Amino acid sequence: MSHHLEKSRNSCALHGALQLFEAIDAVVPVIHSTSGCGVQHYLGVTRLSGGNDTFGSPPVSSSNITQKHVVFGGGSRLREQLKNTVKVVQGDLYAIVTGCSTEMVGDDIPAMAREGRDQDWPVIFANTPGFSGDVHQGYHLAVKALIEQLPDIVKTQEVIPAGLVNIWGIIPNQDPFWRGNLQELGRLLEGVGLIPNLLLGRDQSIASWKQVPGAVLNLVISPWGKLPAQLLEERYTIPSITLDGLPVGTSASILLRRLTEQLELDPIRTEKFITREESLLNYQLARLADTYYRAGFQREFALVGESAQVIGIGEFLVKSFGMLPGTLVITDNPPESIREEVAGRLATILPGYDTVVIFSEDQSEITDVVRAGDPGLILGSSLEQEVAVELGVPFLALSFPLFDRIVLERAYAGYRGAATLLEDMGSAILSCSNYINEAS
Amino acid sequence: MSPLRAKAPRSREKRLDTLGAWFGKVSVASKEFAGDEIAQRIRTFAQSSNDDLLYALRILSGIRNSVTIIHGPRGCAAAGLYHTAIGSNTRWIVTDLDERDTIMGADIKLRKSILALYHRYHPSVVFIVGNPVIAINNDDIQSVVEELHEELELPIVPVYVTGFSSQNAVSGYDTALHSLLKYLSGNTSTATKNETLNLLSVAEHPLDRKEAVDLLDIFGHELIIIPDDSAIDVFKSAVAAKASILLSPDAPEYLGVILQEKYDVPLIDVSRPVGVEGTGRWLKSIGAFLGKENVANELHTRKAAETARQIGGFSLKGLKVYISLSSANAFSVLDLVEELGGEVTGLTITHLDRLHIRQLDELTIRTPSLQIHVSDGQAFEEISILRKLLPDLYLGDSTHLGQVARLGIPVVSLESLAFVGYSGVVRLVRRIKSALANGSYELSLAKVNSPYQEAWFRRSHNWHIKQEVK
Repeated sequence: MSHHLEKSRNSCALHGALQLFEAIDAVVPVIHSTSGCGVQHYLGVTRLSGGNDTFGSPPVSSSNITQKHVVFGGGSRLREQLKNTVKVVQGDLYAIVTGCSTEMVGDDIPAMAREGRDQDWPVIFANTPGFSGDVHQGYHLAVKALIEQLPDIVKTQEVIPAGLVNIWGIIPNQDPFWRGNLQELGRLLEGVGLIPNLLLGRDQSIASWKQVPGAVLNLVISPWGKLPAQLLEERYTIPSITLDGLPVGTSASILLRRLTEQLELDPIRTEKFITREESLLNYQLARLADTYYRAGFQREFALVGESAQVIGIGEFLVKSFGMLPGTLVITDNPPESIREEVAGRLATILPGYDTVVIFSEDQSEITDVVRAGDPGLILGSSLEQEVAVELGVPFLALSFPLFDRIVLERAYAGYRGAATLLEDMGSAILSCSNYINEAS
Repeated sequence: MSPLRAKAPRSREKRLDTLGAWFGKVSVASKEFAGDEIAQRIRTFAQSSNDDLLYALRILSGIRNSVTIIHGPRGCAAAGLYHTAIGSNTRWIVTDLDERDTIMGADIKLRKSILALYHRYHPSVVFIVGNPVIAINNDDIQSVVEELHEELELPIVPVYVTGFSSQNAVSGYDTALHSLLKYLSGNTSTATKNETLNLLSVAEHPLDRKEAVDLLDIFGHELIIIPDDSAIDVFKSAVAAKASILLSPDAPEYLGVILQEKYDVPLIDVSRPVGVEGTGRWLKSIGAFLGKENVANELHTRKAAETARQIGGFSLKGLKVYISLSSANAFSVLDLVEELGGEVTGLTITHLDRLHIRQLDELTIRTPSLQIHVSDGQAFEEISILRKLLPDLYLGDSTHLGQVARLGIPVVSLESLAFVGYSGVVRLVRRIKSALANGSYELSLAKVNSPYQEAWFRRSHNWHIKQEVK
C-alpha cells in the first residue's frame, strides 16, 4: 500500500499520456472521463512547466461524462464525442485516453477505437486511468499505444533516412526543458553524421512516428525510455544505447564515442566534432574563473529532480565544475530494479565525499532532507524555493514544477546546455544577496 | 429539517435549474426562465471544463492552517500544485489510490494519512475531498471522519464532490460551503446576534477583498470575512452576525442562504460591486439595511469623483466589447463597459440559472437581442461566435485566451486582475488602455494555425447542443 503524498509532482497516468500526445503535431487527444480531468492537467501540469502548450489552452476534446454515464456506461457518449471531434478538430491521429471513472465503469475502449477505424478515422487508444500510475506510466502507455497501433492505421511507407536514431525517455513538460534538450541532442547526433528522430516538439508529427521502426538505434535518455526501446527491439530488432541521465557537458563526448563505435561511424569526424565542442565549453568555463573564485561558487549543493536530470546535471557539476554533491533527491519513482544502481552511482559521484541520495516525491520529506543537508545552493523545482529562502541560499529552478520561469528553447543537455546551466546557476548565486557571506 | 442534514446540497441544476450549455438571445433566455420547466442541455462535442472538485479546491485553498486530503488517485490533486504556485498555504495531500484501492476500498489508507498529518502538522482542520473514484466506489469516508474526529478532537470535514454529479462546477462551491458550515459552525441554530457583519467572499482576488473591506469600514461594523483567507473559527462567529453581505451574488449565495435560513442571519440583497455605479449600488443597499444611507451616498459621491479623475475621461465609445466570465462577473462587467461608453456585443457566461433572472429581465428591456452563450471552457464555441462578431475588445478569464487572441482581437485577462470597487475600475481601465494601445502580439499570434476545421465554423454556434432526453 502506497503512502500518501504531499504536493505530488508526478500527477497521473492520464496526464502523462496527454503530455506525450499533445507534444506531437496534429495528434488530438480525446479524453474520455469527467470534465475536470483535462483542466487538472492544464492547471497542474501544463501551466507549471515554464510555458504553455501549442494551443495555449486545455486539451481540445473531452467527453465530460456525467452521472448518467457513470450509471449506464459512457460508450455511446464516447462514440458521439469521437465522431464530432473528427469533424471539428484538425488532426492526423485521434488518441482516446481514459480517466478513472470510465475505466471503473468498464467502457469498452478498444471496441470504440475499432468502430472509429471502421469509419476510416485514424484512431488509437490508451487506457490511462489515474489510479494506474503517475505521469511516467502515462508516457509508457501512450508510447506503447503509438508503437503498437500506428502500423495498423497508417499503412503508407515512409522513406527512412539512413542513420536514423529514435530518442526515448524525455517526457514533455515533466522535463520543463524538453524541447531545448531534444534539439540539443539532435544537434549532437547530427554532429557525428546521424539523423535524429526527436518524435516530440515542433514539426514532429505522425510522419516522424511512422519512421520509428526503420531507425538504426534507440537512444534512451532516462529510465522511462527503456520500455519503448525494449518494445522496438522485440518487434523490429532495433538495438539501443541506454543512458541513465542526460548527457550534460563532457558526458556528451562519451555518448558520441559510444555511438560512433556501435554504429561504425567515421571516428575522425566524431573526434573533430567533440574537440570543437569541448574546446568551446572549456573556453566558457575559463571565462567564469574570476567570478567563480571571487564569489565562492564552489560549495555544497542540493539537487532535486527526475533521475535523468539529477544524474546528468549532478555529474557535470561535480566532475567539471568542482561543486560538492550534498543531497541528491530523485523524484520520478524509478523502478525498484534500478534504484540500487542509481543510488550507488550517485553516492560515489565524488569519491570519498558524503553524499546523501534519496528517492522521494513527497514534498515534506524532500524539504526535510534538503534542510538537514544545509546546502550552500539549491537546484530543484519551484517548490524548493521555500526552503532555499528559509536557508538564505541561492536557488535555481530547473525541474518540474517550474512556475517562476519561462522556458521556450532553453536546454541543459549537451555542451550548449552545460554552458546555459552555468549561466543560470552563476546568475542565481550572484543575485542572492548573501553570496558574499557564503563566500567568506 | 436542517438544510445541512444531507451529506451534500442538491446540485445547482436541481436547486436553481442551472444551465451549463445554452446559446441565444437574452430575451429568449428571460422568457425561458419565466417558466416553470427548464430543459437541461447537453453537448455532443465538448472540451474540458471545470468540475465541482476544482471549485471546491478553490475554496479550501483559502482556509488557514488546514490540511486538504484529496482521497483519490494522484491526478485529482494536480490543481493543488497550481494553488501552491499561486500562493495558497494549504497543505495538499493525495492518498494516491491505486487499482487495488479502487476495488478493495481505501478507508484504512485514509485513516493512516489523517493520523500522520495530524501528528506532523497539528492543523486546525483537515478536509477530506471526494472525487470520481471515491464516489463510484462509495468509499466510507464518513465513519473514518467520525471516528477520528472523536479520537483526535480535531475538526475533520468531508467534502462530497464527485466530478460528475453536476454539470456545473459552481455546485462545488455549494458543496464545500455546505460542509464548512455543517462541520465548523457548531450546533447552535440561533446564536445571540452581535453587531458584526459577514462579508461572504468566495475565491476572490485578495485586492478585491481589500477594496470591499476598505469601503465597508465607513459603516463602523466589525467584519468577518468568510471563507476566503479565513481561520476556521469564523464559521462559528458568522452565525452570530447582524447580517451577511455578498461580495458576489453567485459564488457565495448558498452560504448566505443557509446562514439566513438556519441561523437567522439576514442576507442583504446586493449586486456585485463592480464599476462605479455598481459599487455605489452595493454600498447603498448595505447602507439602507444599516440605516446609514447618507454615509453610503457621501462615500460614493467622493469615490466616484476620485475615480473619474483617475481614469481621466477614458471612454470605450464606439468600441464593441465581448465579455466571457463567470456569470456574476460577466453581468457586472457588462454594466461597467456600458458605464464607460462601450457596446457589449455578446456574453459568454459559465452558467445561467434562477439567480440571474433579474439581470436577464433588465437586459431584455435594454438590449433584447444581445447574445448570451453559456459555457465553461468551450473554446470552440466561443471562437465560432467571435469570428462572426469580431469585437474590438475581449474581456475574459478563461484558459483559452490565446485562442481568442489569435483572431486578432485585443484581449484583457481578468483571471488574476482585481476589478472590484472603485480601485478596480482604475485597474481595469489601465489594462484596457494597454490592450488597445498595441495589438501587435495578437497579430503575431494570428500567424499560428487554429486547431479547428474551418468548415465547422460555417455551422450554427450551437449545432452540437441538444435538449437532454430524460
